[in-house]
Amino acid sequence: MNRKHFIFSFLPLTYFSKELIYQVPFQSLGVGRGAEGTKDPDALPIIPPYLKPGDLIGITAPAGYITYEEIQPAINVIESWGYQIKIGETVGKRNFTFGGTDEERTGDFQKMIDDPKSKAILCARGGYGGVRIIDKLKWDKFRRQPKWIIGFSDITVFHSHLNRSLGIASIHSKMCNSFPDDWTIAEAIQIETIESIRKTLSGQRMKYTTIPNMKNKTGRGEGVLIGGNLKMLETLSGTVSDINTAGKILFVEDTGEYMYNIDRMFWHLKRTGKLSQLKGLIIGGFKIKVDEDADDFGKTLQGVVLEKVKNYHYPVCFDFPVGHQKNNYAFKCGVTHMLIVSQNECTLTETR
Amino acid sequence: MIKTPPYLKKGDTIGLVCPAGFMPLEKAQTCINTLQDWGYNVRVGNTLVSKSENYFSGSDEERLEDLQRMLDDNEVKAIMCARGGYGISRIIDRINFSKFKRHPKWVIGYSDVTILHSHIYSNFYISSLHSPMAAAFHGEVYKNEYVQALKSALAGDKIRYERPISEFNKKGKVKGELVGGNLSLLAHCIGTISDIKTKGKILFLEDVGEYLYNIDRMLHQFKRSGKLNNLAGLVIGGFTDNKDTERPYGKTAYEIIYEVIKEYDYPVCFGFPVSHERENYPLKIGVKYKLKVGKSKVVLEE
Repeated sequence: MNRKHFIFSFLPLTYFSKELIYQVPFQSLGVGRGAEGTKDPDALPIIPPYLKPGDLIGITAPAGYITYEEIQPAINVIESWGYQIKIGETVGKRNFTFGGTDEERTGDFQKMIDDPKSKAILCARGGYGGVRIIDKLKWDKFRRQPKWIIGFSDITVFHSHLNRSLGIASIHSKMCNSFPDDWTIAEAIQIETIESIRKTLSGQRMKYTTIPNMKNKTGRGEGVLIGGNLKMLETLSGTVSDINTAGKILFVEDTGEYMYNIDRMFWHLKRTGKLSQLKGLIIGGFKIKVDEDADDFGKTLQGVVLEKVKNYHYPVCFDFPVGHQKNNYAFKCGVTHMLIVSQNECTLTETR
Repeated sequence: MIKTPPYLKKGDTIGLVCPAGFMPLEKAQTCINTLQDWGYNVRVGNTLVSKSENYFSGSDEERLEDLQRMLDDNEVKAIMCARGGYGISRIIDRINFSKFKRHPKWVIGYSDVTILHSHIYSNFYISSLHSPMAAAFHGEVYKNEYVQALKSALAGDKIRYERPISEFNKKGKVKGELVGGNLSLLAHCIGTISDIKTKGKILFLEDVGEYLYNIDRMLHQFKRSGKLNNLAGLVIGGFTDNKDTERPYGKTAYEIIYEVIKEYDYPVCFGFPVSHERENYPLKIGVKYKLKVGKSKVVLEE
């Protein structure tokens, strides 16, 4: 396979919000190495080939249902990037909250995996349902011809499964339901985050920078980037899709959970040994549900996290632009990154 | 053989603690009076007279210390948790069980206390009591059969419950050690040292206030982590106050559970009175039970 070649093209810094400075200093050409899948937790994951103009992206709904109209804005934008779109049968299907029955969602996803023409599978939205089909999917063709699986939230099950059982990289990013209806009046942050999907898919080396949170733990660490939705990670524990975190940079985010449950989930990470051997910890967005009737929990998110990692020496970065929010940038799960958390800024840089 | 702590005799002391959420002493008063009426002394732990102003019944250290003292005190023959809530996850790994292992005593409670049950069973193979807590005694409620069943259980009477059938039941007759508790907490223990092995066991599950999709997700986690395929039997308690998403899930909790377990051959009973409602029979974790799910009735007996 081709080795990666990097063209260094320093782009000007672009300032978008108080929380975030976004920067793409590197571009890369060529494709990642593609070989047999691996279950060896120490082996570096295989990077599917990056996309070239004219390549085909399949859109499917493995979890919640979505209408054709709802994905139209995403189709328009992605086609404008020069890619072709194949719309899966589950788009527009509905079985209660699901995008079709388990069999329909499995069948559609399987077709996307097996289609040699498609180079990426974009999940139309999250919701719930990935875990109901993951064990029904056959990955043999995917191992032989890895391709990018794209999404977040419920789609964490796929990222985790690819990390644990297949050893193949994937993209944690916004999905079809986050594309603005009218691109011409979209907010800068919407455009920039969606552009980050294009840049990621095309093989650009990614670098993200945030303004430091006072509670960050400074330091630097290099490792494969993994993670996703915290609740999903907890409910994958004990299964063949349970992530292996040793030597990696872990990112987590969540939405709509009570503070006590967030605390409990971080205890779960700790008690399952998932925090002890990290190279770095990235805390994305946490939309905390408030229980009007309950007494004050008495702890902040930062406090909840820091007490779990107080005996570890890796860097910890809060407020990273990933999660159920507008500033949710595309992350390459399974690709090696360097996390540097200093007093002045935090950077996450792809190093491979 | 599972180690069963000594059953209680009149005059024995029961320690009452709040290892998780806050509870004012008044709310435990009926429970204290009733336990005294049953002939026991009650030692009120510091966490039940806590000055805490937040969610918890004291700091981690205070809750840990209170529970630790009750575990270590030879005069205390049973420890009853006054309420659940959330908080045992925060202290479980700091509890020193060395005296408790040598002198087992009944640990009593449910909900968040599921972690203690699972941890004690998995690590020390000591039986404990999944049962109503202080709030269940409130008002006249202590007179009900569920709280009265706790009285019998503490005294060492053999447990036998007979229940009507449910449409989802799967018939059969099995024996096995009983394990289980709150579904969310059991799922939370998976992968940790407090996790339970379920092979050959009769598993019971209950939950409260969960989203239907999350019940489904947790059951898939159970299935995918191998917790459902080798059971002797399954007892489904109450799944109450379920929440649903804006787009309705389209199935009831029991339909969700049935769909996940229908492929297995072991007996399953639905609607067993173990729950966050009044219908909450005490069950001895780790003790061998006979489960008979029949045409006209369900029997669960020691």
